[in-house]
Amino acid sequence: MNAPNHHPADETLGRFAAGAIEAGPRLVVATHLAGCPQCRARIRSFESAGGVLLDSMEPATLRADAFARTLAQVEAPAPATIVPAARDAAMPAPLRYYDLPKWRAVAPGVRWRRVVLPEAPDANVIMLKVGAGQRMPNHGHTGVEYTQVIAGGYTDAFGHYVAGDCIEMDEDVEHIPLADRDGDCVVLAALEGPLRLQGWIARLFQQFIGI
Amino acid sequence: MTAAPSADDMKRWLAAVAQDQDRAAFGRLFQFFAPRVAAFMQRAGLNASEAEDVAQETMVAVWRKAGMYDPAQANVSTWVFTIARNLRIDGARKSARAAAGVAVLSYETPDVENSAEEDTLASERDARVRRAMATLSPAQASVLKLSFFSEKPHAQIARELNIPLGTVKSRARLAMAKIRAILEQEP
Repeated sequence: MNAPNHHPADETLGRFAAGAIEAGPRLVVATHLAGCPQCRARIRSFESAGGVLLDSMEPATLRADAFARTLAQVEAPAPATIVPAARDAAMPAPLRYYDLPKWRAVAPGVRWRRVVLPEAPDANVIMLKVGAGQRMPNHGHTGVEYTQVIAGGYTDAFGHYVAGDCIEMDEDVEHIPLADRDGDCVVLAALEGPLRLQGWIARLFQQFIGI
Repeated sequence: MTAAPSADDMKRWLAAVAQDQDRAAFGRLFQFFAPRVAAFMQRAGLNASEAEDVAQETMVAVWRKAGMYDPAQANVSTWVFTIARNLRIDGARKSARAAAGVAVLSYETPDVENSAEEDTLASERDARVRRAMATLSPAQASVLKLSFFSEKPHAQIARELNIPLGTVKSRARLAMAKIRAILEQEP
């Protein structure tokens, strides 16, 4: 895969580095990072900024026995580390470590599945697989939508996106993505805030996700 | 109060912890970092007791992972910051993690290898970031800090600071772009 052309905003990478981003967008950004050395380098810079902020904090007062209790803990044996097993090696890391249910048809040429995050069962994260040359549903959002292209590509009024690209769509934007003609387009998408949808995908979300 | 330890002091102490399980060196690291991690976590929305728990867990991880610290990758402060950050994320999903047996912490999975672009010397990167942060306007700095300390959407930050949403967005983007511009300058 070539280096991606579309990246998360710096501000999003900053929030990722700080751990101050919702679980759904975090998975989308993490999946982008796995394939994007440029963004990984930026994350390191923002982590350095975190280190600078940490150094500059006014120290809090800890309980008097804080150090003694920490020493007692380091003397206890370390718990075993869980090494995750890939569930679907065809998917990029870290998405491959998540439980990915079977695709379900939802409209002609469009299949979907919900990605359930054990750490945030309420997160709105889905994958869509759209057949070559097919349209994805027209939709707007009330929060930012984060999309990572996993395979294939699509075009909307704003540009053309291919595997490895990450797209942030602001609230109040509507778009009608059209999958490229040369193969299925697979995307991972997460929403901050509730979805405002038109037509069948609205019914789908209401039925399965309850929003 | 004694002078703040230098980056090299911290590296020496951490090496002593890694090689000799040196408790005095660990004590110095604890004295500097534990109260600051706790303060950071309080700013991020945890109560005093939760924040102290994260600080303590962070220091336990510092002890256990000291041998994995690579001074070429990050300064000690940055490394401690990433440990505390991961524990902050982890704390919110402890029960879920136990149920699922999934330990996906971040993009740092065994499948991802670093490129040359990422391997800028850590000390150089940290010095540049410090310079960049010193040039931020107070307004940019406050939005940057809010981005770091809260997972609040911009709309909420705008309400709390009583400024328009567009202003929050442009300040956050400017602050981040400024840091990045300085970082990406040739040395």
